[in-house]
Amino acid sequence: MEGRAEKKQAEKTRAKAKKGMPHAFGIRHLSPAGAYYVREYLDRADPQLVLIEGPEDFSELIGDLGSEEIEPPVAVMAYTKELPVRTVLYPFAVYSPEYQAILWAKEHGCECRFCDLPSEVFLGLEEERRKKWQKKLEEKQEPCQEPESPVAYVYRRLDELSGDGDNETFWERTMEHAGDVEGYHKGAAEFGRSLRALASGDIPGTEKAAKSGAAREGEEAEGAGGMPDGGEEGRREDGGENAENRIREAYMRRVVARAVKEGTSPEKIVVITGAFHVEGLMGEGKPMTEKEWKKLPRLEAKKTLMPYSYFRLSERSGYGAGNRAPAYYELLWEGLCRQEPDYAARRYLAALAAYQREHGNLVSSAEIIEAMRLSLSLAGLHGGRLPTLRDLRDAAVTCMGHGSFSEVALAVADTEIGTRIGSLPEGVSQTSIQSDFYRRLGELRLERYKSVAAQDLSLDLREKLTVKSQKSAFLDLERSFFLHRLRVLGISFAAIQAVKQERATWAEQWQLRWTPEAEIQIVEAVLKGDTIEQAASFALRERTMGSSGIAGIAAVIEDACDCGMPTSMEYAVSALQGTAVDAVSVTEIAETAGRLSSVLRYGDIRHLDRAPLVPILSQLFLRACLLLAGECACDEGAAKQIAQAVATLHEVSVNHDFLDGERWRRVLFEIAARDDLNTRLSGLAAAILLEAGQMNSEELGCEVQRRLSKGIPAELGAGWFAGLSMKNHYALIARLNLWEKLSEYLVTLDDEEFKRALVFLRRAFADFTSEEKNQIAENLGEIWQVNPSQASEVLNGPVSGEELEMLSGLDDFDFGDI
Amino acid sequence: MEQNVQRLPAEQLFQREIEALVANEKYPVPTGWQMSPKSVLTYICGGRSGEVEISPKYIGHKRLVEIAISTLVTDRALLLIGEPGTAKSWLSEHLTAAINGDSTRVIQGTAGTTEEQIRYSWNYAMLIANGPSREAMIPSPIYRAMEQGKIARVEEISRCASEVQDALISILSEKRISVPELGVEIPARKGFSVIATANTRDKGVNEMSAALKRRFNIVVLPAPDSLEAEMDIVRTRMEQLSGSLDLNARLPEEEVVEKVCTIFRELRGGVTLDGKQKLKATSGVLSTAEAISLLANSMALAGSFGDGVITDYDLAAGLQGAIVKEDSKDGKAWEEYLENIMKKRGSRWLSLYQECKELNR
Repeated sequence: MEGRAEKKQAEKTRAKAKKGMPHAFGIRHLSPAGAYYVREYLDRADPQLVLIEGPEDFSELIGDLGSEEIEPPVAVMAYTKELPVRTVLYPFAVYSPEYQAILWAKEHGCECRFCDLPSEVFLGLEEERRKKWQKKLEEKQEPCQEPESPVAYVYRRLDELSGDGDNETFWERTMEHAGDVEGYHKGAAEFGRSLRALASGDIPGTEKAAKSGAAREGEEAEGAGGMPDGGEEGRREDGGENAENRIREAYMRRVVARAVKEGTSPEKIVVITGAFHVEGLMGEGKPMTEKEWKKLPRLEAKKTLMPYSYFRLSERSGYGAGNRAPAYYELLWEGLCRQEPDYAARRYLAALAAYQREHGNLVSSAEIIEAMRLSLSLAGLHGGRLPTLRDLRDAAVTCMGHGSFSEVALAVADTEIGTRIGSLPEGVSQTSIQSDFYRRLGELRLERYKSVAAQDLSLDLREKLTVKSQKSAFLDLERSFFLHRLRVLGISFAAIQAVKQERATWAEQWQLRWTPEAEIQIVEAVLKGDTIEQAASFALRERTMGSSGIAGIAAVIEDACDCGMPTSMEYAVSALQGTAVDAVSVTEIAETAGRLSSVLRYGDIRHLDRAPLVPILSQLFLRACLLLAGECACDEGAAKQIAQAVATLHEVSVNHDFLDGERWRRVLFEIAARDDLNTRLSGLAAAILLEAGQMNSEELGCEVQRRLSKGIPAELGAGWFAGLSMKNHYALIARLNLWEKLSEYLVTLDDEEFKRALVFLRRAFADFTSEEKNQIAENLGEIWQVNPSQASEVLNGPVSGEELEMLSGLDDFDFGDI
Repeated sequence: MEQNVQRLPAEQLFQREIEALVANEKYPVPTGWQMSPKSVLTYICGGRSGEVEISPKYIGHKRLVEIAISTLVTDRALLLIGEPGTAKSWLSEHLTAAINGDSTRVIQGTAGTTEEQIRYSWNYAMLIANGPSREAMIPSPIYRAMEQGKIARVEEISRCASEVQDALISILSEKRISVPELGVEIPARKGFSVIATANTRDKGVNEMSAALKRRFNIVVLPAPDSLEAEMDIVRTRMEQLSGSLDLNARLPEEEVVEKVCTIFRELRGGVTLDGKQKLKATSGVLSTAEAISLLANSMALAGSFGDGVITDYDLAAGLQGAIVKEDSKDGKAWEEYLENIMKKRGSRWLSLYQECKELNR
């Protein structure tokens, strides 16, 4: 019975194909239901030739793609040989309909080819469009808003028209949950038709649609068959891509016509293509002629397979190029294979709960059950049978996350995106990043270092005035950029060595050594970008996002400066700005400000625009100014670090005119004057003001008298003096009235107090050299009217036995509650 | 009915809309409800029902309303959490008005709420005279809701003492109240549920126990999601207020409202409106309601002591008071905001910047 029903169905399917027309199965890229039903469809249609939307010249890679050694996700990629590298990329996951069709063809010994424009033409068209856009920009002289592209327009309209307010959810609800192959096939055809109608603006009912439709007359949008990758800017321009869609459909018809001519009957051909193109393909249009074919622009390109990752799929969430939740879609695929419709929903919620529990958050089974019920009820509100990803996520937030997404955000990312990385058998891949690496090696004349033996390379980053061309004048600087980028990517080819000369900002010492691991590391880096530069920029960005403290981000800024990548630097700077807002200590701010300041001052050698650092440095500085006085109320242990921070901040303030020096001065005065702060720091502030000439001898005298007056505990007074002497000793020694006041203070003390003061003052003077002590002695001699040399003799002479006894008495000194 | 009450319950105010929705019902209605979940959504978020235009009651965040309604469909209790002034009680009232046609089964939670008010209490005169009987018992709104299969509301649940909150735990999990004095147990009829509201950032609230939280599906209501929406709310409320308060001042100009909302949104969110720069958020709540009272206050200042037009000087005084409350950190955050953000905004903001700076010394 069942067999007969199937046969009948198959006949029906076959009869449906118009005479002389191939079968067409409309899909959406990366659609689990599509992947599942395409196999059923192929089983019924039983073709001799399967044509798949995708650059025709990739057909030679189909053998590799279908091989058992491949583990998806993988991508086929074409890239230009010339700089700048442009790419066409077609990623495949296990739930890609195209991938499953390729597997089916292999299992059934059926021929399988790609049928879209060759990648060279894709790249050529894209380049043409980019040029046109640039020309337009130049004509207008000023940067103008790019018009909304037809694709964006169609998807925005789709978002508005679907009850879900989101076309992804709409698609999942209507298509991924379609019950059978017929439902999917018809649904996809209808979807494609509506997209075409929407693109030309004739959806009835809304005035807005009619209006924009009129404005877009004669245009046609790229729809479900979108070109997955390629220049974002280029695609945005309208007009071009509509024409491109017509070209692509004409070309696909040409491929079909050629296959028919070669002897395959049309009924034995199945074309698997984006739902959008089904009508264009089956319609009345003529195949592309030889003349038209020759006229198409071309850009020479190389092709390769490359490993891909779910993370990268999820990043490119535009239609076709990826999807937002690859791991979830894989669950959908598994559910279809197991014939358990709610498998994905159950697994999704359970995986979220498992992740939460693993990370110490309590999730009960009851909550999972409630989340499941809520998601079903949400789906019901939209007339759905099964919950969509959005329903599931919202239910999880409500039932497991106490209503706030942030509680489950990490679990959601882990469950939806996953960490799967595809793998290829060895030797299959020749990726763009590898060829970029070798090209750069040649350009920078580093080829001879590509050997197993370690070799040293010293670089002088300064401009070489003896050579003629600009390029060779900065060869070493370019080399340094390149090697730093490799370092950031963790490619073990180059290792930087410590430079011997101190503060030599223009010299670098590297050690280069080629290993097979380095080659593997480069291939892996392709997941981060198409060229070394792109990958390094991605890596820096990733590091920026991963670092929690501002010092970590400051290190990224330094690296970006070393790599000569201003955009990455700007990105890190804005991240730094964001992180710096959260509570951070003055010491950390000072350290970061110090690093930024040194990039600002010494980064000149790398020819980088460091202007973006200016505002962030002033913000950090302002913040430090606001916080500093408060943080100065601390114990001795913390005071050491803060003293360091004060010194750094002062250096920074002196070195950059754009900082608010006046405010800094006010802060120092405040610290110097306040009595409730750590006295050592108050002393230090006074010393800095003194050194900067902001405090005159008279003010200092008053201050000394106040700080060292009778009644103030000796350790506080001495601590203040210690702070005062942390900076410039000579500035102190030269001020006679300081010593007068000190002497006056000592005189006022009684014996017990004097003993205490002595202990602390001895410590304060420990840092002074004997030369300096001599000078102090001279000062004191003058005040006390003693012969300076005599005083010096007493001070620097060996301690007598009697005195020793007295001093050892001090060791037992009772410090009381100090 | 009585026309001189200050405020009618929602089901009377919007009686016409509710009747239209019930009359035009096309979808299945859950037990105990008077309309389908879809119609409840239309009632809250606006739309059409037959000839009748349904006005939106809650603007923005339609998805949250969907989650709230779906929760009630699954017979789970719903907890609406949010900062002050995010329309929690408003939403809870309208949900019950639409679902049951009666939003008056409500317990208004305070620190003095007792367990009896959650479960049942007694008419003591009768209790002493005749002993425990059904007649002597005074059922609580929750008790009544269970008997009738309707939805009860608990306002400000986090203000109740923890013991009182605990009384809800077994009611929500077992869906029955036992009355040992009478030796009976009242089971909840289908359709019974509870909508509770709670404040997150207020002083004087009690932390809710994890056990109680687990019995609720929690929906967090956020502040208005765009500057325009917030300005709309402020403007409408200002118009109503200035009428009833006789402030003798002109309504604040568009620019003033925009400035206040911008500052509030930025300090609340900890990021500039263009999203480019993060900043230090203040510890205060800075709700939309506060923006409204700040402007009303500025109007009172301008009306009583100025020429009736809000000046930057009036505004600065209001801002200082609203932003820098008792915490000294707020003063620093405000100063950072002034220096890093407002100062760089150009001439339109310059005079406000100077006034604020003068005040924040």
